[in-house]
Amino acid sequence: MDTPPTLSLSRSTFAKLSPHPYLVANLTGQGRSKSNSSPACCRTNGRTPQQARPLQVHPSSLTHAHGSALVRNGDTTVICGVRAEILPVSNIPQYRPRSHGEVDSDSSSSSRELRDYDLLVPNIELATGCATQFLPGVPPTTLAQTLSTRVYSLLHSCHLVDAADLRIWHNPKDSSSSEAANAQDKMDEDEDANSHKEEDAEPQLMAYWVLYIDLLFVSFDGNPFDAAWTAVLAALHDTKLPSARWDPDREMIVCSPPTRSLRLSGLPIACTAAIFVEKEHGDTGGRHWILLDPDRLEETLCREVVTMVVDCSDGETRVRAIEKHGGTVIGRELIRAFAGVAEKRWTEVQKSAFLTDK
Amino acid sequence: MTHLAPEAALSVLPRADGSAKYSYAGYTVTASVNGPIEAQKRDEQAYEAVVDVIVRPAAGVGGTRERHLESILQSSLSQIILITSFPRGLIQIMLQIESTPENDYVNTKLVQASLNLAIIPALLQTAVLALLSAAVPMKATATSSAVAVVLQDDGAKKMVVDPSPRDIESAQSVHALIFTSHDELLLAESEGDFTVQDWDQAYEVAYNVCCQAEAKKAGTDMMIDDDNDASGSDMRHFIRSTMESKVAADLHWKR
Repeated sequence: MDTPPTLSLSRSTFAKLSPHPYLVANLTGQGRSKSNSSPACCRTNGRTPQQARPLQVHPSSLTHAHGSALVRNGDTTVICGVRAEILPVSNIPQYRPRSHGEVDSDSSSSSRELRDYDLLVPNIELATGCATQFLPGVPPTTLAQTLSTRVYSLLHSCHLVDAADLRIWHNPKDSSSSEAANAQDKMDEDEDANSHKEEDAEPQLMAYWVLYIDLLFVSFDGNPFDAAWTAVLAALHDTKLPSARWDPDREMIVCSPPTRSLRLSGLPIACTAAIFVEKEHGDTGGRHWILLDPDRLEETLCREVVTMVVDCSDGETRVRAIEKHGGTVIGRELIRAFAGVAEKRWTEVQKSAFLTDK
Repeated sequence: MTHLAPEAALSVLPRADGSAKYSYAGYTVTASVNGPIEAQKRDEQAYEAVVDVIVRPAAGVGGTRERHLESILQSSLSQIILITSFPRGLIQIMLQIESTPENDYVNTKLVQASLNLAIIPALLQTAVLALLSAAVPMKATATSSAVAVVLQDDGAKKMVVDPSPRDIESAQSVHALIFTSHDELLLAESEGDFTVQDWDQAYEVAYNVCCQAEAKKAGTDMMIDDDNDASGSDMRHFIRSTMESKVAADLHWKR
């Protein structure tokens, strides 16, 4: 090719000067040399529109958290730590006592407990120097707050965690018998009095575990929600709660080392795509591309975003959330078609290591 | 579930460029619109106007949930406003929630972080009315509806339009959809547990509520008020008739 040297721009200069035409040129395959055997339709990062970045999950990467995971999706890296803290029922305002025999009539009573007592507290920190647009030392940006709300809503609407796992019961019968076994040298009459007193005592709910789910973005290169949600899932899968019991003598809860892992129902996986339209500045018409798992450059150029959370673990595809806003390209047909893309992504993520080792 | 017909008043605030008060399904929202005005140097964009949406809750200060509502409304409204006509400008939309449906069954904490999809229709409808009242140029208007899929005792699924908090509590899934007046899907937010078929049905129901003005106008106009009970209210016709009565009142002196 004999182009005049005054007009030739390097790829990175072109990308910086006019990112939108740069992405259009890449997607339409303009200016690509004939010898290059790459596919005709290719994004600036070398992926095809329907290709996501490889996902890497490293569970248990933090020592002092009850559960943690580092998730890397391309250059987006999130670390999630789950810390369980005890919330005594006496500290809950408007606490409605529950009896031991009471079974959850449906999932709604468990989710109401989680929501009313705030047993799941996700928080997302973006101001870690993970990308140039997030300044450190400022109040949480709109994006961070939006992500927190989305993670919080999804955690509750999926019924991922069962409130039964987070309850700490005190069973007087158990404790009296174990005390008897431990302390053989106790006075006989004393033991008798104890057992008589506690014979008819019902098990009591003393406290709840509150899970503080903290997410830190180590590096940010687009698609924060998918990475954050995968990190939450992986960290919760990794979470082991200490076995806690109420000590009636000291009137406090005592814990022994973590043994019990959290049971999670289902495996909802998020799948995000951005819609890139050929015409800049809101003009309608022209072609559009659905770019799966957008990176930072693509996200700044796309207005319309669609996220679908699906769960295929029961064999049947259940949708857990759809979020689509910012444009009118994605209509009814494309949402239906996107469910198929989300299913494919689900199988990809499901194969990744963090679930198979359990 | 039957609600009273939606009510709206335009230009209720004398100092704002445009304002509207809207109440339906237990939600009352007042919106004020100022614009196009000059954007702050820090925020201005060289090619288009900045749309700034502020949502204020009925009680307390806005939290993360309000930020999320703001961001999705902002992205939806900037699609229908002709933002490219006002480069370096700012269109500010302030939405004050005045009341939300009362409910004795649901524990209503003052600050709630979880998303409430049922409030999206009220917020959007008010914003669109206020934008019309401020005569901000727009590509299209928008209408919105929320649908809850409730599993009945006999196992059948029932679609509840504009669900109450009690309905949402017992619903399998809740969907909020916004359509433009060109019948395009502008926003779709859903949560819960559902299949693509369920979503499709909810879409159908919401579409009928939001986009039926033309079909009904074929009949006599007088009939419309009676038809409303059948399939919830017809939002597009409602916006149109609200504007018509406002224009008629404003031009009363001409007659």
